[in-house]
Amino acid sequence: MPDQARSIAPQSVRRIGRSLLLTVPMALFTLLLFTPALREPERPAKLAALITWAFMMMLFFQMMRTRQTYRWRRIFFVALGFLFPVGFIWDLIALRGSMSIPVERMLSGDTPFCFMVIPMTLIPAALTRTIIFPGSILPTPSNPHSIAIMAALWILATVILGKAWCSYGCFFGGLDEGFSSIPKKARLRKINPKWRLAPWAILVAIVLLAAATYEPIYCKWLCPFKAVTEFSEVRSTQTAIQFGIFNALFLGLVVVLPYLTKRRTQCAFFCPFGAFQSIFNWTSVFDIRINKEKCATGCVLCQNHCPTMAIDPSSIAGGKMLSTCMRCGACVDVCRKNAAVWHIKGTTVGIATERARLLYLYAAWVFASMFGGAIIANSLQKLIGLIV
Amino acid sequence: MNRWKAILGYTAAGLTIAVAVVGPLVWFGIFTRAASKSSLQIDPVYTGGAPARTIARDGYQIVVYKPVPKRAPLTQTGAFVQVVWKPASALPATVAETLDLDGDGRPDCVISFQAPREPRANLRVTAEPLSGLVQPMHEVGKDSLSSLIARVNDTIVVRVPLR
Repeated sequence: MPDQARSIAPQSVRRIGRSLLLTVPMALFTLLLFTPALREPERPAKLAALITWAFMMMLFFQMMRTRQTYRWRRIFFVALGFLFPVGFIWDLIALRGSMSIPVERMLSGDTPFCFMVIPMTLIPAALTRTIIFPGSILPTPSNPHSIAIMAALWILATVILGKAWCSYGCFFGGLDEGFSSIPKKARLRKINPKWRLAPWAILVAIVLLAAATYEPIYCKWLCPFKAVTEFSEVRSTQTAIQFGIFNALFLGLVVVLPYLTKRRTQCAFFCPFGAFQSIFNWTSVFDIRINKEKCATGCVLCQNHCPTMAIDPSSIAGGKMLSTCMRCGACVDVCRKNAAVWHIKGTTVGIATERARLLYLYAAWVFASMFGGAIIANSLQKLIGLIV
Repeated sequence: MNRWKAILGYTAAGLTIAVAVVGPLVWFGIFTRAASKSSLQIDPVYTGGAPARTIARDGYQIVVYKPVPKRAPLTQTGAFVQVVWKPASALPATVAETLDLDGDGRPDCVISFQAPREPRANLRVTAEPLSGLVQPMHEVGKDSLSSLIARVNDTIVVRVPLR
């Protein structure tokens, strides 16, 4: 026993040392990112930045120490999903006393741009050089979240993350991931795989309808997250119906179904932006593969644990995930045979998989800290302001 | 071949990290500058389009915009002309203005509304057509984007629906 203890102790010390070494570059860079907030004169801002930085670094360290990705990323992502509406609604209430967008704000171009609108703007922009959204092209003091800033952010995220935007960047996805994490077991297990095509159908429909109406149809009628952000002022039967649809979709797709299925149902079976982002899977050099030589048991644990049903028997047989894979890492972490692996395109599958994971995580976590971290810090600042 | 592919893969992975680290520092500036030079604009349904002419009155101005046609076959927002009174704080309590909206030298409608000092007060506008260009409006508030009156900052925006 003492011999065993002696051999385990240096191993765990070595692991912690290695994890600390790997965390230091990330910690230093993100500290640089948070420096302006840490220098703020107000205590809540300073505290929020410090807590967020420590939170992000603790999660990164744990990813290094445990060599697991999914559960630590999920903590960040759920925090982002639940804190984003807090800060957003707080700002809306402070600014205009309500979550609804009055016509006056639309006319003055003060509506913050949301990445969900991007696919719908493409055809009208190509045909008439106009953007069908009541925001502003360039940032203004009253609307810093302009179209140019959000489009630049989306392009950057797409280059760095590709479809992994849905796991590290999207400030809505954490909500259904959070509700899907609550139960220990799924109560609704049989889901027709054809539902995976629904986001593509919705994407095609909203792009064509936006071109036919010159209106951001999804935002106007279908976005479940309007229930926790902002929506058109309820002034008519139409806007009342829209308000009802937003809340019903939110309750169904983001709360109830994720809870029953343990899947990210909104992301997997509804979100057209997720489908749109799948088109840009090729922009990221990182992906997840299945090492067919190691995957011989047919346990399908990966298939059962994938939050977006991006793995099926054909993808296991082919060694590649479906295009809806958002590189959350659930399949890699759950695989007992180490058959599901992180991979860099061009390299041999199953070789240096930890190196591939590290390189991926450095890129993804820098983006997550910069973008998601800023959102978390902003919302925390408001909550801390209530106490301090 | 496989070796070169692997080298390319790792190089791309390294570049991705470099983009993640350096990108935010330079990319937003570059993209915003490019966007400001592009001819992209917000849809005139929201901005009201381009101003056509300005009419000076005693202490305030009336800006008549170019007509905005119906944008797409299935759109709910019909054609309209935007007229802006500014500054709202300098307006008389009752405004009644005969306006030429299409610039042909003939009056097209009479627009009338009350302009209370209270910024949150409900506004209502009436437009009586004098030509075949304009659709009538009677005590309209914020009914639709093509037929409304709204206080935006220190201006009063009226949109008159066109036939």
